[in-house]
Amino acid sequence: MALRRQSVILGALLAPVTLFLGVFFVLPLLIIAVFSFLTPGLYGGVEWAFYHWNYGRIFGWADGIMEVYEPIYLRILLRSLIFAALTVIVTLILCYPVAFWVSGLPDRWRLVFLFLITLPFFSSLIVRLYAWLLILKPTGLFNTVLMNLGLIGQPLEILYTPTAVVLGMVYVMIPFMFLPLYASVDNLDRAQVEASLDLGANRIQTLVKVILPQTLPGILGGAVIVFIPSVGNFIVPDVLGGAKGLMVGNLVEQQFLSSRNWPFGSALSMIIMAVVLTVLLIAVARARKVGGHA
Amino acid sequence: MRNPWGWVALTAFSLLFFTFIYAPLFVIIGYSFNSNPVNMMIWEGFTFDWYTGLFGLSDRATGVGNRAAYIESTDQMLAALRTSLTVALFTTTISTVIGTATAIALARYRFRGRGAYNGFLMMPMMMPDIVLGIGLLIFFVTLGMQLSLLTIIIGHCTFLTSYVFIIVQARMAGLDPALEEASADLGASEWTTLRKVLLPQLAPGIMGGALLAFVISMDDLVITYFISGVGDTTLPVFIFGMIRRGVKPEINAIATLIILASVIIAALGLWLRSRKID
Repeated sequence: MALRRQSVILGALLAPVTLFLGVFFVLPLLIIAVFSFLTPGLYGGVEWAFYHWNYGRIFGWADGIMEVYEPIYLRILLRSLIFAALTVIVTLILCYPVAFWVSGLPDRWRLVFLFLITLPFFSSLIVRLYAWLLILKPTGLFNTVLMNLGLIGQPLEILYTPTAVVLGMVYVMIPFMFLPLYASVDNLDRAQVEASLDLGANRIQTLVKVILPQTLPGILGGAVIVFIPSVGNFIVPDVLGGAKGLMVGNLVEQQFLSSRNWPFGSALSMIIMAVVLTVLLIAVARARKVGGHA
Repeated sequence: MRNPWGWVALTAFSLLFFTFIYAPLFVIIGYSFNSNPVNMMIWEGFTFDWYTGLFGLSDRATGVGNRAAYIESTDQMLAALRTSLTVALFTTTISTVIGTATAIALARYRFRGRGAYNGFLMMPMMMPDIVLGIGLLIFFVTLGMQLSLLTIIIGHCTFLTSYVFIIVQARMAGLDPALEEASADLGASEWTTLRKVLLPQLAPGIMGGALLAFVISMDDLVITYFISGVGDTTLPVFIFGMIRRGVKPEINAIATLIILASVIIAALGLWLRSRKID
């Protein structure tokens, strides 16, 4: 009797999430997979007939009659991967030393600076990007200051370049890199660091042999959490990037809202999904391995 | 620290880092009071015009110089704010209920597939929002569902449920199961224990999860962008549209108000968390 009652409550607790995510999360993802193999119809519709040239257009087996292979798609995909990787590297370089600094502060100040890190997370993404638009414009803050100082004669072209896109992504992703990093830096066994220095290892050796391995889980966690939303990002390149800053997310958006080629947009989304799943699988495998050693 | 200069350098770097994070926000706030409508960079004087203009109280319109055009966009902005608040309220309620139920189920019951559930619940958070957005768009259109407030609410709940789940689960992990066992030993039913013992202890976690869900829902741009109907623009989508059409001083005023609102919400969150410790 007790067992029966328990399973009723368990069922009642789990039914909502199962139903909701089953219908509104799993099904939409499956539909993307189906649509990526459908024939694009005229005027933005679809025909329910198998069609693999959505992928052929991207990867090069297009027949050249109905669909044309355009190497630009692969280039944009590659660029998205590079931008996301750069975002990971730059946020890591910026956050790693600061994580040590914050972790070494007295309690009171530590809480203040941790709050300051999380605060931007609570403020609007689009507002924060808009700020960079104001700063990077040819007549914006950055150029005005540099010109008034006499450092440059002409406004620098930063806005609508890849630099602006990576800068914008770095800016919005900082909290996501910082928090996992901070958690592992804060857990670092300081005695081991001291021991390593006492026993004659220099700073670099201590960093590479003691500090980096111990904080590796935080580094990997931050890298995954930053890489995934960066690779499919379309807001940052839309606001700050020009034609040279276009990413795969912008392509997807165009297929759905202006070109109205949903099957092709779905194929591009499937590639984003494949990249994300690959990264997640690597991260999980890696975490298992690290966990196994410990 | 063995090397004082190392520490000074680290401190300098860290303070620069925080300047980098906050300077852009202060740039917006500063610009929002600059009365120069043509080049925001050149300080012409202090003004509240862009704020009063937002609410249709000022005659100073940029570019157009037309009061009527102004009031129309004020109405649109307030409508967008209303839509955002409505969506966020419904989304927060639904995702908090579902997320909490799930966290309790996974923490207090042992059943087959529990690990898989845990992994599955991470997926909506890890899925890039553009993929989820277009998936929902195709899904709703294929089903013949009209894009509306309802579709936005559904879209937000798909990923916010997971956020609430994570926060409540973290709180569950810190609870002492002995209290619930005592309640059961003393004859309380499963349901009574849940209601009278577990939920009150979980309350701060649930509040924290709800607050997070509210904030993320208010700020969501990408998913909303794909699945909002023509008349149901939310505030972030509205601002995105304004920015795409060009930079205007009124945007600085809206942005400053949003920054102010988010500081208040973040402070509220901090206060909630400090109460949790008691």
